[in-house]
Amino acid sequence: MPRPVEKLVSLTINGNEVQAPAGMMLADAALKYGDVEIPVFCYDAKIGPPVGACRMCLVEIEGIPKMQAGCSVAVTDGMVVHTDTPTVKAAQEAVLEFILINHPLDCPVCDKGGECPLQDNAFGWGGGLSRFIEPKRHFEKPLALSPLIAIDRERCILCYRCVRYSQEVAEDFQLVLEERGADTFVTTFDGHPYVAPFSGNIIELCPVGALTSRPYRFRARPWDIEQAGSVCTLCPAQCNVSFSVRDERVLRVLGRDHEGVDDGWLCDKGRFAYQAIHVDQRITAPMLRDGGQLRPVTWEIAIEAAANLLSHAGANTGALVGGETTNEEGVLLTHLMRETLGSHDLDSRPGGALELELLRALNAPTLQASVPDLQYAHAVLVLDCEPVDDAPILDLRLRKGVRHHGVKLLIGSSRPSALDERAAHSARFAPGCGEAFAAALGAELAGQPSASLAEAAGADPADVVALATELREAGEEVVILWGERLTAGPRRNEGARALLNLAQELGLDGQDGGGLLEIPSGTNSRGLREVGVLPNASIGLGDAATVGRDSEQIGEALAAGDLSAVILLHSDPLLDQPSSALWQRALGKASAVIAHAAFLTPAVLEHANVVFPAESYAEKEGTVVHPDSRVQRLRRSIARQGETRAEWALLAELAARIGNDPKALTCSMVSARIFEQVPFYAGLSLDLIGGVGIRWSEREAAASFPAAPAAPFTLDPPPAAASPNGLLRLGSFRSIWASPDVEASPALAFLHPRQRVELSPADAERLGIAHGENVTVASNGDSVTGLAHIRAAAPDGTVFLQTSIPEGSAALLEGPLVEVKRS
Amino acid sequence: MTDTLLFKGIDEPGLNTIDVYLARGGYEQLGRALKMEREDLITELSGSGLRGRGGAGFPMGKKASFIPKGDMQKYVVCNADESEPGTFKDRELIQKNPHQLIEGLIIAAYAIDATINYIYIRGEYDQQADILDASIAEARERGFLGEKILGSDFSVQLELSRGAGAYICGEETGLLDSLEGKRGNPRLKPPFPANEGLFNGPTLINNVETLSAIPSIIKLGAEGYAAIGVKDSSGTKLVSISGNVERPGNYEIELGTSSRELIYDLAGGPVDGRAIKCWFPGGSSTPVLTADDLDVGYDYDSIAAAGSMLGSGAIIVVDETQSVVELAYKLAKFYAHESCGKCTPCREGTRWTVHMVERIKDGTATPMDLDIMAAVQEQIIGHCLCVLGDAMAMPIGSLIAKFRDEFEAEIEDNRNERERKLAEEFAAAEVEIEGISA
Amino acid sequence: MADAQRHVARFTNDSRIPGWDRAADLTKEPAVVPDAATTEVPAELRAAIEDAVRRFPVGDSAFIPALYAVQEQYGWCSPEGIEQAASVLGRTPAALTAVATFYDMFRMEPLGRKTVYVCTNISCSLCGADELLEALEAELGEAPDVHIRGFECLGACDIAPMASVNGIYVGPIGLDQVPELARQIVAGDDPLPAKQLIKRPCADPKVAEK
Repeated sequence: MPRPVEKLVSLTINGNEVQAPAGMMLADAALKYGDVEIPVFCYDAKIGPPVGACRMCLVEIEGIPKMQAGCSVAVTDGMVVHTDTPTVKAAQEAVLEFILINHPLDCPVCDKGGECPLQDNAFGWGGGLSRFIEPKRHFEKPLALSPLIAIDRERCILCYRCVRYSQEVAEDFQLVLEERGADTFVTTFDGHPYVAPFSGNIIELCPVGALTSRPYRFRARPWDIEQAGSVCTLCPAQCNVSFSVRDERVLRVLGRDHEGVDDGWLCDKGRFAYQAIHVDQRITAPMLRDGGQLRPVTWEIAIEAAANLLSHAGANTGALVGGETTNEEGVLLTHLMRETLGSHDLDSRPGGALELELLRALNAPTLQASVPDLQYAHAVLVLDCEPVDDAPILDLRLRKGVRHHGVKLLIGSSRPSALDERAAHSARFAPGCGEAFAAALGAELAGQPSASLAEAAGADPADVVALATELREAGEEVVILWGERLTAGPRRNEGARALLNLAQELGLDGQDGGGLLEIPSGTNSRGLREVGVLPNASIGLGDAATVGRDSEQIGEALAAGDLSAVILLHSDPLLDQPSSALWQRALGKASAVIAHAAFLTPAVLEHANVVFPAESYAEKEGTVVHPDSRVQRLRRSIARQGETRAEWALLAELAARIGNDPKALTCSMVSARIFEQVPFYAGLSLDLIGGVGIRWSEREAAASFPAAPAAPFTLDPPPAAASPNGLLRLGSFRSIWASPDVEASPALAFLHPRQRVELSPADAERLGIAHGENVTVASNGDSVTGLAHIRAAAPDGTVFLQTSIPEGSAALLEGPLVEVKRS
Repeated sequence: MTDTLLFKGIDEPGLNTIDVYLARGGYEQLGRALKMEREDLITELSGSGLRGRGGAGFPMGKKASFIPKGDMQKYVVCNADESEPGTFKDRELIQKNPHQLIEGLIIAAYAIDATINYIYIRGEYDQQADILDASIAEARERGFLGEKILGSDFSVQLELSRGAGAYICGEETGLLDSLEGKRGNPRLKPPFPANEGLFNGPTLINNVETLSAIPSIIKLGAEGYAAIGVKDSSGTKLVSISGNVERPGNYEIELGTSSRELIYDLAGGPVDGRAIKCWFPGGSSTPVLTADDLDVGYDYDSIAAAGSMLGSGAIIVVDETQSVVELAYKLAKFYAHESCGKCTPCREGTRWTVHMVERIKDGTATPMDLDIMAAVQEQIIGHCLCVLGDAMAMPIGSLIAKFRDEFEAEIEDNRNERERKLAEEFAAAEVEIEGISA
Repeated sequence: MADAQRHVARFTNDSRIPGWDRAADLTKEPAVVPDAATTEVPAELRAAIEDAVRRFPVGDSAFIPALYAVQEQYGWCSPEGIEQAASVLGRTPAALTAVATFYDMFRMEPLGRKTVYVCTNISCSLCGADELLEALEAELGEAPDVHIRGFECLGACDIAPMASVNGIYVGPIGLDQVPELARQIVAGDDPLPAKQLIKRPCADPKVAEK
């Protein structure tokens, strides 16, 4: 459904004329345009339509005999509203007196004290007295609602925000009200904990201290902390966050509502993984391998050692750059590699280099959809990605679009999606066959249906027809939300072509409200490509003077001895790269491994010669680019922990030691250089980016984006999906919780995934495997073990395993077929 | 007094089966209605002056005329969640003459072009629901429900949905939520069900008695029906009379009959010639009237003029031997038990009121608490999401206003009683202490 | 939550309401939609729920019939039964308990299949319902598989004081008939056949005149 068009109406609030958009709720309009606060408890526009339950917002509207709830009356032209009459005042006092009947006055020991809407409303609108002399209720408190959330039912004022959130925003429907009337209480089913990817948002939504964060409880008072706004870089969704900082420690992460990015929500990883900043196992001093052991050393020794190793290796150095790297760090790394060491072997994409022309075509500004487009498009096709794992907050945005704006959600994926039940149609294809699936869909849309393409994708041709029909009938605003894995692996270029053809069939180029939106593998993947951290592109996606090796080739060259040193900038290839076996060999053979890391992940622990401590995202400054082309700014919110130093400065220092000083005195100097050198960033500045970021694709400078070839492309027929023949196809996925930050955060550690082997009921029965049993998955002599997890939704013939976990990752296996048996 | 319409021959054996109903001319009015233009039918219903018999008394034809025209799915929902204390008229209609209801409902469905319809019956009416289930099946079998009924172009479905014990589901939007399988919380209005009701479609919600009256309206014609009763209260009304009377039961009356006639002549008045202390004219949610109001005509406007409401047409008679404090306690506990908990004033106000009455009962209240109690009722009225809060606050408020002396006397007595008991306990304790020291 | 002992389940003691002191058991997994592949459902329960889904196909309209089916199967809305129903309906079990606990007729504890509701609302209590409930409770207090409780207005004030015995309305019940009624309830016999509402003629004299 297209975005609503704003039309202004005039109304009178307390005698003052106010202009507000028609349809806006009175409580919002009064505050935003009339500078009049109508107190509310149950209402928060971001939860959805108002329910008018708490009755705090009663106002008088001329011409309506009964008082109306200001949260739920849309403003209309000529409306005359009074919020300060004796009648309204009496109603407000009455409601507050009722609300405070049960609410304990334990504000001095309540976490919410000082930032509590109930305190504020009681102070602003309450009568100050209560005539309730009966004993208040007393319950055991606080109780655990989950490992992350404590519930204090005495304090609950039954505003419904949390349960509405669980049911209508997150749609996990785990948190409900039980009982009726004054006995009503917030709870879960039969004592189960409320554990869901987005559970923590209820803490922020609660207008009293009934739901509190267990990791934050009693750590600070509002007057002890400072709020520092920045961006969460734990995943490509790049939610805008605010750190609650006390004594240079992050104690809490809150959302910093940004309609264009996160819509005001955070996932639990973003909300609680800040703990990893302050854990003992974090690397906060440089280390050097000495006698097989990594030992802390001084910065001078470490820098000298690294500079020596790199100088020695010279052009035989490769570099892998992880997604948490900023643009500034990326640019300084390219300076170190290309202009200092003379090596062009650097890559920020784990799946192998994509033809530059195709990369340009995929990133063309006219083809980029924005995050809000997901909410308002006629249809969204989720292609070869799982939003809740890959960029969690987008999952909520898609649900909102379906629930409130009639977005038609369509899904094409290998593994069953969490969004399947909200989708108008969902189709499955064999793992790694996204290219064939996109080609089949494109062909169907082009009016050249090809059952053989669908079969090559391991998909049901009827599914392809159904998706194409839905897409054709939906309307012109279509967004394809696609995962980087579609353009990774040996068929990556064909995958990109198939996707571009599909976009062309749907007329997405230049389509307002539609387009492509990639979920890349790394947080700042988009920015790193745009500043040239690729083997085949220079800064600004220009042609590379010399084309270097891509990530896979770097691994092979290391293993073959053609490269001798490797820089791992926020990258652990044993976790991030598709083949663990290759990288075990590569790192084993490398004579120098220089790592920038926050944790001793496998590659760092076993292979690094020099380790530099990586800054956490709360310590970092610089810029990153959101997958929808929004340039965002990281601001340093706390002092760097331990001996950690700015990484941009370290990269500059290394280059200077080796003999080519990039002359970067401050990080903002590097930012400015980037804005000058990337043609389509022209005119940007840190000030302009500010706290909310700016989408470069919407600016005039976007016109200078390098020209790209136009679809349609002739496609090379894709190879057929492997036929199981008694074995199973191997599918892999990376869970939202598979991250070193989650593992290191004490509060989240319980979520850090262990391997599980997802099977369909039919396959499980055939193999004689029961749910919860230990099973072994093997291929080519390698094997991993995990607990069997039988899912009704799992497609027959495929087994799904997780990647990016330290033990038993799917990356240890070589597909496409594996053998599964009871351990 | 006019002849019975709704209750006509209602005790005829087997009337609940379709053959007996058909033999009495059943479903003939449906045939006639299906030959009418929809607009004429709605005009006819409006012209009859029939007002909703569920409690609010909103003109039925007008409500039907609010349903938008168009292709969207529309619904008729029959509210058979009769749960207003003192009310049991719908039960008798459903149990003894279910086809009259089904016929009326199909006519209403035709009038607004609703092809999917529901009867929501309270779960406690198990026997009645079984009867209704059988009747719906019969009607389906005989072609009164289903595709293109009686040779017309109108296709219609009807399902019976059983509630599970919640007074609030008698509130029309609470009923809709319950019918949708949710907790029966009332919804915010607007939007009204006529525009956005069941599954967000336009929905006409009517009570059993209202729908059951429709065949008579078609038969008598709008004018014929409107001629019964008094101005703005046309037709016959079922009145459930209960409490302290000799002959409790349902009576079909012409609106406008005097209340005294109903309570004394029909129901026989209080037993043993006792005097009436107070009476609820329209279910427990209406402000009480006293013996002084017995000559008020029993119709919508006269009862309103006397300071109460005709409500569901349920008269509860309370004789002089009953305590108003106990009455207030029963009332408050009922509404606190049935409050859905969604909105603050109702949830907290009903519970607080229970506490205050409990303090009167245990002798810890003072006459000042009566002022607080009355003030709390005022704080509830007009501030709630639906009418349940008001439904407690109005009768309790009227009890305090009309029987303040009795409340004060009971407060005094209970205080004295409590003090006497405390003194006794204290004395007993002293004796024991002396015993120890001795 | 329905309460076996207290006939007015709510408000007798505000300080302890069942459930309010309940913490989550952190050793349990979150209660997501039970996977059909790993949830076994008795065939008759599945059939009853699927029939409800057929009759009420839109949204969650089949919830209440499904809960009745669970109660029929297990005698109460047991967590196990709720999970099975949730699996058939494809919803979380919490969605079902939220609904079940809202309504008085769903038993959230195993309280006995023979249900006796004694109306204690205004009209009935004016005619001695509280004494009737007390007498019936005294008589049936220890009886196995019997769930007796006071109930709000059952819509049968014309036979006050009355009770609903497994859905059959009987009244007016004199205190002298309590032992007989109690015996019938325990034995599963037809309760007070002469006093059943279903057999009662209309009170309106005009009806009898015809």
